[in-house]
Amino acid sequence: MDSLITTSIAALELLFSGDAELWTIIGVSFRVSLSAIAIAAIPALLLGFTLAMVQFPGRWALVAICNALMAVPTVVVGLTLYLVLSRSGPLGEWHLLFTQPAMVVGQVLLCFPVLVCMSHSAFQSVDKRAWETARTLGAPWHKALLTLVNEARFALLAALVAGFGRIISEVGCSMMVGGNILGYSRNIPTAIALETSKGEFAQGVALGMVLLLLALLLNFLLASVRGRGQQV
Amino acid sequence: MALRLEARQLVKRFGARELFRIPEFNLRAGESLYLQGENGVGKTTLMKILAGLDKPCDGSVRLLPARRRWWLSALDQKVIYLHQTPYVFAGSVADNIAYGLRYRGFDQQTIRQRVALGLRWSRLEALAEHDAVTLSGGEKQRMALARAWVLEPQLLLLDEPTANLDVDSVSLVADMVSGMVADGAAVIVSSHQKTALTRLCQRRLHLINGQLREVFSSTRQEQYGH
Ligand SMILES: Nc1ncnc2c1ncn2[C@@H]1O[C@H](COP(=O)(O)OP(=O)(O)O)[C@@H](O)[C@H]1O
Ligand SMILES: [Mg+2]
Repeated sequence: MDSLITTSIAALELLFSGDAELWTIIGVSFRVSLSAIAIAAIPALLLGFTLAMVQFPGRWALVAICNALMAVPTVVVGLTLYLVLSRSGPLGEWHLLFTQPAMVVGQVLLCFPVLVCMSHSAFQSVDKRAWETARTLGAPWHKALLTLVNEARFALLAALVAGFGRIISEVGCSMMVGGNILGYSRNIPTAIALETSKGEFAQGVALGMVLLLLALLLNFLLASVRGRGQQV
Repeated sequence: MALRLEARQLVKRFGARELFRIPEFNLRAGESLYLQGENGVGKTTLMKILAGLDKPCDGSVRLLPARRRWWLSALDQKVIYLHQTPYVFAGSVADNIAYGLRYRGFDQQTIRQRVALGLRWSRLEALAEHDAVTLSGGEKQRMALARAWVLEPQLLLLDEPTANLDVDSVSLVADMVSGMVADGAAVIVSSHQKTALTRLCQRRLHLINGQLREVFSSTRQEQYGH
Protein backbone atom coordinates (compact mmCIF):
# COMPACT_ATOMS: atom_id res chain seq x y z
CA MET A 1 0.00 0.00 0.00
CA ASP A 2 2.76 2.31 1.04
CA SER A 3 4.72 1.64 -2.12
CA LEU A 4 1.63 2.21 -4.26
CA ILE A 5 1.18 5.66 -2.78
CA THR A 6 4.85 6.61 -3.07
CA THR A 7 4.91 5.32 -6.64
CA SER A 8 1.84 7.36 -7.53
CA ILE A 9 3.37 10.48 -6.04
CA ALA A 10 6.60 9.86 -7.93
CA ALA A 11 4.55 9.36 -11.09
CA LEU A 12 2.74 12.68 -10.63
CA GLU A 13 6.06 14.39 -10.02
CA LEU A 14 7.40 12.94 -13.25
CA LEU A 15 4.37 14.12 -15.20
CA PHE A 16 4.33 17.63 -13.85
CA SER A 17 8.10 18.18 -13.83
CA GLY A 18 7.93 17.99 -17.62
CA ASP A 19 10.27 14.99 -17.76
CA ALA A 20 11.62 15.03 -21.32
CA GLU A 21 11.83 11.26 -21.74
CA LEU A 22 8.28 10.79 -20.53
CA TRP A 23 6.83 13.42 -22.81
CA THR A 24 8.79 12.10 -25.80
CA ILE A 25 7.17 8.72 -25.22
CA ILE A 26 3.73 10.30 -25.01
CA GLY A 27 4.48 12.27 -28.18
CA VAL A 28 5.45 9.10 -30.08
CA SER A 29 2.24 7.40 -29.00
CA PHE A 30 0.04 10.22 -30.17
CA ARG A 31 1.90 10.87 -33.41
CA VAL A 32 1.76 7.21 -34.42
CA SER A 33 -1.82 6.52 -33.37
CA LEU A 34 -3.27 9.75 -34.73
CA SER A 35 -1.51 9.16 -38.06
CA ALA A 36 -2.87 5.62 -38.16
CA ILE A 37 -6.45 6.67 -37.44
CA ALA A 38 -6.20 9.54 -39.95
CA ILE A 39 -5.02 7.15 -42.67
CA ALA A 40 -7.57 4.45 -41.89
CA ALA A 41 -10.65 6.57 -41.21
CA ILE A 42 -11.81 7.58 -44.68
CA PRO A 43 -11.22 4.29 -46.53
CA ALA A 44 -12.77 2.37 -43.62
CA LEU A 45 -15.76 4.69 -43.60
CA LEU A 46 -16.26 4.27 -47.35
CA LEU A 47 -16.03 0.50 -47.02
CA GLY A 48 -18.48 0.54 -44.11
CA PHE A 49 -20.83 2.66 -46.20
CA THR A 50 -20.54 0.31 -49.18
CA LEU A 51 -21.20 -2.72 -47.00
CA ALA A 52 -24.28 -1.06 -45.54
CA MET A 53 -25.77 0.37 -48.73
CA VAL A 54 -24.73 -1.71 -51.72
CA GLN A 55 -25.85 -5.25 -52.27
CA PHE A 56 -23.19 -7.41 -53.86
CA PRO A 57 -22.31 -11.08 -53.62
CA GLY A 58 -20.00 -11.87 -50.73
CA ARG A 59 -21.09 -8.87 -48.71
CA TRP A 60 -21.95 -10.86 -45.60
CA ALA A 61 -18.72 -12.81 -45.83
CA LEU A 62 -16.83 -9.53 -45.84
CA VAL A 63 -18.74 -8.28 -42.79
CA ALA A 64 -18.03 -11.55 -40.99
CA ILE A 65 -14.33 -11.33 -41.85
CA CYS A 66 -14.16 -7.78 -40.54
CA ASN A 67 -15.84 -8.85 -37.33
CA ALA A 68 -13.36 -11.67 -36.93
CA LEU A 69 -10.40 -9.37 -37.63
CA MET A 70 -11.50 -7.06 -34.81
CA ALA A 71 -10.71 -9.83 -32.38
CA VAL A 72 -7.29 -10.79 -33.75
CA PRO A 73 -4.66 -10.32 -31.00
CA THR A 74 -2.34 -7.42 -31.67
CA VAL A 75 0.75 -9.64 -31.39
CA VAL A 76 -0.53 -11.75 -34.27
CA VAL A 77 -0.82 -8.67 -36.46
CA GLY A 78 2.62 -7.63 -35.20
CA LEU A 79 4.13 -11.01 -36.01
CA THR A 80 2.63 -11.05 -39.51
CA LEU A 81 3.85 -7.55 -40.23
CA TYR A 82 7.26 -8.43 -38.76
CA LEU A 83 7.59 -11.35 -41.17
CA VAL A 84 6.58 -9.16 -44.10
CA LEU A 85 8.93 -6.31 -43.18
CA SER A 86 11.92 -8.28 -41.90
CA ARG A 87 15.01 -8.33 -44.07
CA SER A 88 14.14 -11.67 -45.68
CA GLY A 89 10.45 -10.79 -46.01
CA PRO A 90 8.68 -9.65 -49.19
CA LEU A 91 8.97 -5.95 -48.26
CA GLY A 92 12.36 -6.26 -46.59
CA GLU A 93 14.00 -3.83 -49.00
CA TRP A 94 11.85 -1.02 -47.70
CA HIS A 95 13.83 -1.11 -44.39
CA LEU A 96 10.71 -0.25 -42.42
CA LEU A 97 11.18 -2.64 -39.52
CA PHE A 98 11.72 -0.87 -36.16
CA THR A 99 10.54 2.50 -37.48
CA GLN A 100 7.57 4.70 -36.70
CA PRO A 101 6.06 4.14 -40.18
CA ALA A 102 6.04 0.41 -39.44
CA MET A 103 4.17 1.10 -36.22
CA VAL A 104 1.71 3.28 -38.13
CA VAL A 105 1.12 0.50 -40.66
CA GLY A 106 0.54 -1.98 -37.86
CA GLN A 107 -1.93 0.30 -36.13
CA VAL A 108 -3.75 1.04 -39.39
CA LEU A 109 -4.23 -2.71 -39.77
CA LEU A 110 -5.46 -2.94 -36.19
CA CYS A 111 -8.00 -0.14 -36.24
CA PHE A 112 -9.25 -0.67 -39.80
CA PRO A 113 -11.60 -3.60 -39.03
CA VAL A 114 -12.95 -1.79 -35.97
CA LEU A 115 -13.71 1.30 -38.03
CA VAL A 116 -15.27 -0.72 -40.86
CA CYS A 117 -17.51 -2.77 -38.58
CA MET A 118 -18.65 0.14 -36.49
CA SER A 119 -19.25 2.49 -39.41
CA HIS A 120 -21.06 -0.33 -41.20
CA SER A 121 -23.51 -0.64 -38.34
CA ALA A 122 -23.69 3.15 -38.01
CA PHE A 123 -24.73 3.51 -41.65
CA GLN A 124 -27.02 0.51 -41.39
CA SER A 125 -28.95 2.15 -38.58
CA VAL A 126 -29.61 5.28 -40.66
CA ASP A 127 -33.06 5.15 -42.21
CA LYS A 128 -33.04 4.12 -45.88
CA ARG A 129 -35.31 7.09 -46.58
CA ALA A 130 -32.47 9.47 -45.69
CA TRP A 131 -30.50 8.36 -48.74
CA GLU A 132 -33.56 8.41 -51.00
CA THR A 133 -34.62 11.84 -49.78
CA ALA A 134 -31.15 13.28 -50.32
CA ARG A 135 -30.97 11.80 -53.82
CA THR A 136 -34.44 12.84 -54.92
CA LEU A 137 -33.82 16.39 -53.71
CA GLY A 138 -30.91 16.50 -56.12
CA ALA A 139 -27.84 15.64 -54.03
CA PRO A 140 -25.08 14.00 -56.08
CA TRP A 141 -24.16 10.71 -54.47
CA HIS A 142 -21.04 11.97 -52.70
CA LYS A 143 -23.07 14.78 -51.14
CA ALA A 144 -25.76 12.29 -50.14
CA LEU A 145 -22.98 10.27 -48.50
CA LEU A 146 -21.94 13.34 -46.51
CA THR A 147 -25.56 13.79 -45.47
CA LEU A 148 -25.60 10.23 -44.17
CA VAL A 149 -22.33 10.85 -42.32
CA ASN A 150 -24.02 13.79 -40.66
CA GLU A 151 -27.10 11.74 -39.80
CA ALA A 152 -24.90 9.02 -38.27
CA ARG A 153 -22.36 11.37 -36.69
CA PHE A 154 -22.69 10.12 -33.12
CA ALA A 155 -22.24 6.49 -34.04
CA LEU A 156 -19.34 7.39 -36.35
CA LEU A 157 -17.65 9.40 -33.61
CA ALA A 158 -18.03 6.39 -31.34
CA ALA A 159 -16.37 4.29 -34.05
CA LEU A 160 -13.40 6.67 -34.16
CA VAL A 161 -13.05 6.62 -30.39
CA ALA A 162 -13.20 2.83 -30.31
CA GLY A 163 -10.65 2.52 -33.11
CA PHE A 164 -8.33 4.98 -31.41
CA GLY A 165 -8.77 3.15 -28.11
CA ARG A 166 -7.70 -0.09 -29.73
CA ILE A 167 -4.41 1.31 -31.04
CA ILE A 168 -3.32 3.88 -28.45
CA SER A 169 -3.17 1.16 -25.81
CA GLU A 170 -1.86 -1.83 -27.74
CA VAL A 171 1.53 -3.31 -26.85
CA GLY A 172 2.02 -6.36 -29.03
CA CYS A 173 2.25 -4.90 -32.50
CA SER A 174 4.20 -1.76 -31.53
CA MET A 175 6.70 -3.86 -29.62
CA MET A 176 7.31 -6.26 -32.50
CA VAL A 177 7.54 -3.86 -35.45
CA GLY A 178 8.62 -0.72 -33.55
CA GLY A 179 11.29 -2.32 -31.41
CA ASN A 180 10.71 -0.06 -28.37
CA ILE A 181 13.65 2.23 -29.23
CA LEU A 182 13.91 5.05 -26.71
CA GLY A 183 13.18 8.46 -28.19
CA TYR A 184 12.00 7.02 -31.47
CA SER A 185 9.65 4.07 -31.36
CA ARG A 186 8.99 3.71 -27.66
CA ASN A 187 5.37 4.57 -27.02
CA ILE A 188 3.22 4.52 -23.90
CA PRO A 189 2.26 0.84 -23.85
CA THR A 190 5.71 -0.50 -24.73
CA ALA A 191 7.30 1.83 -22.17
CA ILE A 192 4.92 0.62 -19.48
CA ALA A 193 5.75 -2.99 -20.32
CA LEU A 194 9.51 -2.30 -20.25
CA GLU A 195 9.65 -0.19 -17.10
CA THR A 196 7.49 -2.66 -15.23
CA SER A 197 9.70 -5.55 -16.25
CA LYS A 198 12.69 -3.57 -14.93
CA GLY A 199 10.91 -3.04 -11.63
CA GLU A 200 10.72 0.74 -12.08
CA PHE A 201 7.11 1.58 -11.62
CA ALA A 202 6.92 5.37 -11.43
CA GLN A 203 7.19 6.02 -15.18
CA GLY A 204 4.81 3.15 -15.92
CA VAL A 205 2.22 4.50 -13.52
CA ALA A 206 2.62 8.03 -14.91
CA LEU A 207 2.03 6.75 -18.45
CA GLY A 208 -0.87 4.64 -17.25
CA MET A 209 -2.40 7.79 -15.80
CA VAL A 210 -2.11 9.50 -19.18
CA LEU A 211 -3.97 6.63 -20.85
CA LEU A 212 -6.63 6.63 -18.18
CA LEU A 213 -7.10 10.37 -18.47
CA LEU A 214 -7.32 10.06 -22.25
CA ALA A 215 -9.97 7.36 -22.00
CA LEU A 216 -11.96 9.50 -19.61
CA LEU A 217 -11.64 12.57 -21.80
CA LEU A 218 -12.69 10.82 -25.00
CA ASN A 219 -15.69 9.22 -23.37
CA PHE A 220 -16.75 12.47 -21.76
CA LEU A 221 -16.49 14.12 -25.15
CA LEU A 222 -18.60 11.39 -26.70
CA ALA A 223 -21.20 11.54 -23.95
CA SER A 224 -21.45 15.32 -24.05
CA VAL A 225 -21.81 15.45 -27.82
CA ARG A 226 -24.45 12.76 -27.64
CA GLY A 227 -26.21 14.46 -24.76
CA ARG A 228 -26.36 17.73 -26.65
CA GLY A 229 -27.73 15.85 -29.65
CA GLN A 230 -30.57 14.49 -27.57
CA GLN A 231 -31.60 17.81 -26.05
CA VAL A 232 -34.35 18.42 -28.55
CA MET B 1 -40.17 21.97 -73.99
CA ALA B 2 -42.69 20.62 -71.52
CA LEU B 3 -41.95 17.56 -69.46
CA ARG B 4 -43.00 14.09 -70.59
CA LEU B 5 -42.56 10.81 -68.79
CA GLU B 6 -42.59 7.61 -70.84
CA ALA B 7 -42.35 4.18 -69.27
CA ARG B 8 -42.20 1.08 -71.43
CA GLN B 9 -42.40 -2.63 -70.60
CA LEU B 10 -41.77 -2.07 -66.92
CA VAL B 11 -41.38 -5.26 -64.92
CA LYS B 12 -40.53 -5.50 -61.25
CA ARG B 13 -39.86 -8.77 -59.47
CA PHE B 14 -38.81 -9.55 -55.94
CA GLY B 15 -37.25 -12.99 -56.12
CA ALA B 16 -39.64 -15.25 -57.98
CA ARG B 17 -42.65 -13.01 -57.34
CA GLU B 18 -43.60 -10.62 -60.11
CA LEU B 19 -44.99 -7.46 -58.56
CA PHE B 20 -46.19 -5.78 -61.75
CA ARG B 21 -45.82 -5.65 -65.51
CA ILE B 22 -46.67 -2.38 -67.23
CA PRO B 23 -46.42 -2.30 -71.03
CA GLU B 24 -46.89 1.43 -71.33
CA PHE B 25 -47.35 4.46 -69.15
CA ASN B 26 -47.24 8.13 -70.16
CA LEU B 27 -47.52 11.34 -68.28
CA ARG B 28 -47.42 14.93 -69.48
CA ALA B 29 -46.70 18.25 -67.85
CA GLY B 30 -49.60 19.61 -65.85
CA GLU B 31 -51.41 16.29 -65.46
CA SER B 32 -52.52 15.14 -62.05
CA LEU B 33 -52.89 11.45 -61.54
CA TYR B 34 -54.33 9.35 -58.76
CA LEU B 35 -52.62 5.99 -58.44
CA GLN B 36 -55.07 3.72 -56.72
CA GLY B 37 -54.33 0.32 -55.23
CA GLU B 38 -54.56 -1.81 -52.13
CA ASN B 39 -51.72 -2.02 -49.66
CA GLY B 40 -48.86 -4.10 -50.98
CA VAL B 41 -49.71 -3.99 -54.70
CA GLY B 42 -46.55 -2.05 -55.47
CA LYS B 43 -47.53 1.63 -55.59
CA THR B 44 -44.46 2.72 -53.66
CA THR B 45 -42.18 0.53 -55.75
CA LEU B 46 -43.65 1.86 -59.00
CA MET B 47 -43.32 5.49 -57.90
CA LYS B 48 -39.71 5.00 -56.83
CA ILE B 49 -38.94 3.48 -60.22
CA LEU B 50 -40.58 6.41 -61.98
CA ALA B 51 -38.55 8.77 -59.79
CA GLY B 52 -35.29 6.99 -60.58
CA LEU B 53 -34.75 5.87 -56.99
CA ASP B 54 -35.27 2.21 -57.84
CA LYS B 55 -34.48 0.20 -60.95
CA PRO B 56 -37.00 -1.90 -62.85
CA CYS B 57 -35.98 -5.51 -63.55
CA ASP B 58 -36.93 -4.89 -67.15
CA GLY B 59 -38.03 -1.99 -69.30
CA SER B 60 -37.25 1.68 -69.22
CA VAL B 61 -38.35 5.01 -67.83
CA ARG B 62 -37.63 7.97 -70.02
CA LEU B 63 -37.92 11.56 -69.02
CA LEU B 64 -38.09 14.17 -71.76
CA PRO B 65 -36.43 16.50 -72.39
CA ALA B 66 -33.50 14.23 -71.66
CA ARG B 67 -30.30 15.51 -70.12
CA ARG B 68 -26.72 14.42 -69.97
CA ARG B 69 -25.66 12.06 -67.22
CA TRP B 70 -22.35 11.53 -65.50
CA TRP B 71 -21.60 8.64 -63.18
CA LEU B 72 -21.19 11.12 -60.33
CA SER B 73 -24.29 13.03 -61.15
CA ALA B 74 -27.50 13.65 -59.32
CA LEU B 75 -30.86 12.19 -60.30
CA ASP B 76 -33.01 14.21 -62.66
CA GLN B 77 -33.77 17.44 -60.86
CA LYS B 78 -37.17 17.88 -62.48
CA VAL B 79 -38.60 14.96 -60.50
CA ILE B 80 -39.10 14.66 -56.76
CA TYR B 81 -40.49 11.73 -54.82
CA LEU B 82 -42.02 12.25 -51.36
CA HIS B 83 -42.20 9.39 -48.88
CA GLN B 84 -45.39 8.43 -47.11
CA THR B 85 -43.75 9.52 -43.86
CA PRO B 86 -41.16 12.14 -44.73
CA TYR B 87 -37.58 11.71 -43.62
CA VAL B 88 -36.43 14.64 -41.52
CA PHE B 89 -32.76 15.60 -41.69
CA ALA B 90 -30.93 16.63 -38.54
CA GLY B 91 -31.26 20.39 -38.09
CA SER B 92 -33.95 23.03 -38.09
CA VAL B 93 -37.04 23.28 -40.27
CA ALA B 94 -35.30 26.01 -42.31
CA ASP B 95 -32.21 23.77 -42.76
CA ASN B 96 -34.45 21.03 -44.09
CA ILE B 97 -36.18 23.30 -46.58
CA ALA B 98 -32.78 24.58 -47.71
CA TYR B 99 -31.44 21.06 -48.29
CA GLY B 100 -32.00 20.66 -52.02
CA LEU B 101 -31.28 24.31 -52.80
CA ARG B 102 -27.65 23.75 -51.84
CA TYR B 103 -27.18 21.47 -54.85
CA ARG B 104 -28.65 23.81 -57.46
CA GLY B 105 -25.87 26.37 -57.54
CA PHE B 106 -27.82 29.13 -55.82
CA ASP B 107 -25.99 31.77 -53.79
CA GLN B 108 -26.67 32.15 -50.07
CA GLN B 109 -28.94 35.14 -50.58
CA THR B 110 -31.20 33.31 -53.04
CA ILE B 111 -31.30 30.27 -50.80
CA ARG B 112 -32.40 32.39 -47.84
CA GLN B 113 -35.09 34.07 -49.91
CA ARG B 114 -36.45 30.81 -51.23
CA VAL B 115 -36.44 29.21 -47.80
CA ALA B 116 -38.41 32.18 -46.49
CA LEU B 117 -40.93 31.76 -49.32
CA GLY B 118 -41.15 28.04 -48.64
CA LEU B 119 -41.75 28.63 -44.95
CA ARG B 120 -44.53 31.07 -45.71
CA TRP B 121 -46.06 28.81 -48.33
CA SER B 122 -46.18 25.88 -45.91
CA ARG B 123 -47.21 28.11 -42.98
CA LEU B 124 -44.24 26.97 -40.96
CA GLU B 125 -42.70 30.42 -40.41
CA ALA B 126 -43.23 30.26 -36.67
CA LEU B 127 -41.38 26.94 -36.53
CA ALA B 128 -38.48 27.93 -38.83
CA GLU B 129 -35.75 27.57 -36.22
CA HIS B 130 -37.29 24.61 -34.40
CA ASP B 131 -35.58 21.27 -34.52
CA ALA B 132 -37.35 19.52 -37.37
CA VAL B 133 -37.71 16.16 -35.62
CA THR B 134 -40.03 17.77 -33.08
CA LEU B 135 -42.68 18.59 -35.71
CA SER B 136 -46.03 16.80 -35.77
CA GLY B 137 -46.90 14.44 -38.63
CA GLY B 138 -48.87 17.08 -40.51
CA GLU B 139 -46.15 19.68 -40.07
CA LYS B 140 -43.51 17.23 -41.28
CA GLN B 141 -45.58 16.53 -44.38
CA ARG B 142 -45.91 20.27 -45.07
CA MET B 143 -42.19 20.73 -44.50
CA ALA B 144 -41.46 17.93 -46.96
CA LEU B 145 -43.75 19.58 -49.50
CA ALA B 146 -42.04 22.92 -49.00
CA ARG B 147 -38.63 21.22 -49.30
CA ALA B 148 -39.75 20.06 -52.74
CA TRP B 149 -41.71 23.19 -53.70
CA VAL B 150 -38.69 25.52 -53.35
CA LEU B 151 -36.96 23.40 -56.03
CA GLU B 152 -39.79 23.97 -58.51
CA PRO B 153 -40.18 20.34 -59.61
CA GLN B 154 -42.01 19.54 -62.83
CA LEU B 155 -43.10 16.15 -61.61
CA LEU B 156 -44.00 15.43 -58.03
CA LEU B 157 -44.61 11.88 -56.82
CA LEU B 158 -46.56 11.87 -53.56
CA ASP B 159 -46.71 8.51 -51.81
CA GLU B 160 -49.86 8.33 -49.69
CA PRO B 161 -49.30 11.91 -48.57
CA THR B 162 -52.36 12.07 -46.36
CA ALA B 163 -52.46 8.54 -44.96
CA ASN B 164 -51.20 9.53 -41.52
CA LEU B 165 -52.78 12.97 -41.23
CA ASP B 166 -55.77 14.43 -39.46
CA VAL B 167 -58.57 16.13 -41.43
CA ASP B 168 -57.24 19.69 -41.12
CA SER B 169 -53.78 18.67 -42.26
CA VAL B 170 -55.28 16.79 -45.19
CA SER B 171 -57.05 19.88 -46.48
CA LEU B 172 -53.92 22.02 -45.98
CA VAL B 173 -51.81 19.52 -47.91
CA ALA B 174 -54.49 19.26 -50.61
CA ASP B 175 -54.42 23.04 -51.02
CA MET B 176 -50.65 23.05 -51.30
CA VAL B 177 -50.63 20.30 -53.90
CA SER B 178 -53.40 21.82 -55.99
CA GLY B 179 -51.39 25.05 -55.95
CA MET B 180 -48.46 23.21 -57.44
CA VAL B 181 -50.67 21.64 -60.10
CA ALA B 182 -52.05 25.07 -60.94
CA ASP B 183 -48.46 26.23 -61.41
CA GLY B 184 -48.03 23.57 -64.07
CA ALA B 185 -46.38 20.68 -62.24
CA ALA B 186 -47.40 17.12 -63.00
CA VAL B 187 -48.41 15.21 -59.89
CA ILE B 188 -48.85 11.55 -59.11
CA VAL B 189 -50.64 10.81 -55.85
CA SER B 190 -50.86 7.27 -54.58
CA SER B 191 -53.47 6.27 -52.09
CA HIS B 192 -55.39 3.20 -51.09
CA GLN B 193 -58.47 5.30 -50.42
CA LYS B 194 -60.14 8.42 -51.81
CA THR B 195 -59.24 11.68 -50.12
CA ALA B 196 -59.63 15.40 -50.69
CA LEU B 197 -56.38 15.18 -52.61
CA THR B 198 -57.23 12.29 -54.90
CA ARG B 199 -60.51 13.95 -55.86
CA LEU B 200 -58.51 16.80 -57.40
CA CYS B 201 -56.81 14.48 -59.88
CA GLN B 202 -57.75 14.45 -63.56
CA ARG B 203 -56.65 10.89 -64.19
CA ARG B 204 -57.12 7.78 -62.12
CA LEU B 205 -55.09 4.63 -62.57
CA HIS B 206 -55.65 1.41 -60.72
CA LEU B 207 -52.76 -0.89 -59.91
CA ILE B 208 -54.29 -4.32 -59.45
CA ASN B 209 -53.07 -7.88 -59.98
CA GLY B 210 -49.78 -6.62 -61.32
CA GLN B 211 -51.41 -4.45 -63.99
CA LEU B 212 -51.96 -0.74 -64.34
CA ARG B 213 -55.42 0.19 -65.64
CA GLU B 214 -56.63 3.63 -66.58
CA VAL B 215 -59.96 3.92 -64.80
CA PHE B 216 -60.81 7.47 -65.57
CA SER B 217 -59.32 10.38 -67.43
CA SER B 218 -60.88 13.79 -67.71
CA THR B 219 -58.08 14.93 -70.04
CA ARG B 220 -58.89 12.09 -72.43
CA GLN B 221 -62.60 12.87 -72.32
CA GLU B 222 -61.89 16.46 -73.21
CA GLN B 223 -59.76 15.31 -76.11
CA TYR B 224 -62.45 12.99 -77.43
CA GLY B 225 -65.21 15.50 -76.74
CA HIS B 226 -63.78 18.08 -79.11
N1 LIG C 1 -36.77 -4.48 -51.28
C1 LIG C 1 -37.77 -5.36 -51.30
N2 LIG C 1 -37.52 -6.69 -51.25
C2 LIG C 1 -38.51 -7.59 -51.29
N3 LIG C 1 -39.80 -7.28 -51.37
C3 LIG C 1 -40.14 -5.99 -51.42
C4 LIG C 1 -39.15 -4.95 -51.40
N4 LIG C 1 -39.78 -3.77 -51.46
C5 LIG C 1 -41.09 -4.04 -51.53
N5 LIG C 1 -41.31 -5.36 -51.50
C6 LIG C 1 -42.62 -6.02 -51.57
O1 LIG C 1 -43.32 -5.52 -52.66
C7 LIG C 1 -44.69 -5.38 -52.35
C8 LIG C 1 -45.18 -4.02 -52.72
O2 LIG C 1 -44.64 -3.05 -51.86
P1 LIG C 1 -45.02 -1.53 -52.02
O3 LIG C 1 -44.51 -1.04 -53.32
O4 LIG C 1 -44.51 -0.84 -50.80
O5 LIG C 1 -46.61 -1.55 -52.02
P2 LIG C 1 -47.63 -0.39 -51.71
O6 LIG C 1 -46.90 0.90 -51.68
O7 LIG C 1 -48.63 -0.46 -52.83
O8 LIG C 1 -48.29 -0.70 -50.41
C9 LIG C 1 -44.84 -5.69 -50.87
O9 LIG C 1 -45.43 -6.99 -50.73
C10 LIG C 1 -43.44 -5.70 -50.35
O10 LIG C 1 -43.30 -6.70 -49.37
MG1 LIG D 1 -46.64 2.25 -50.14
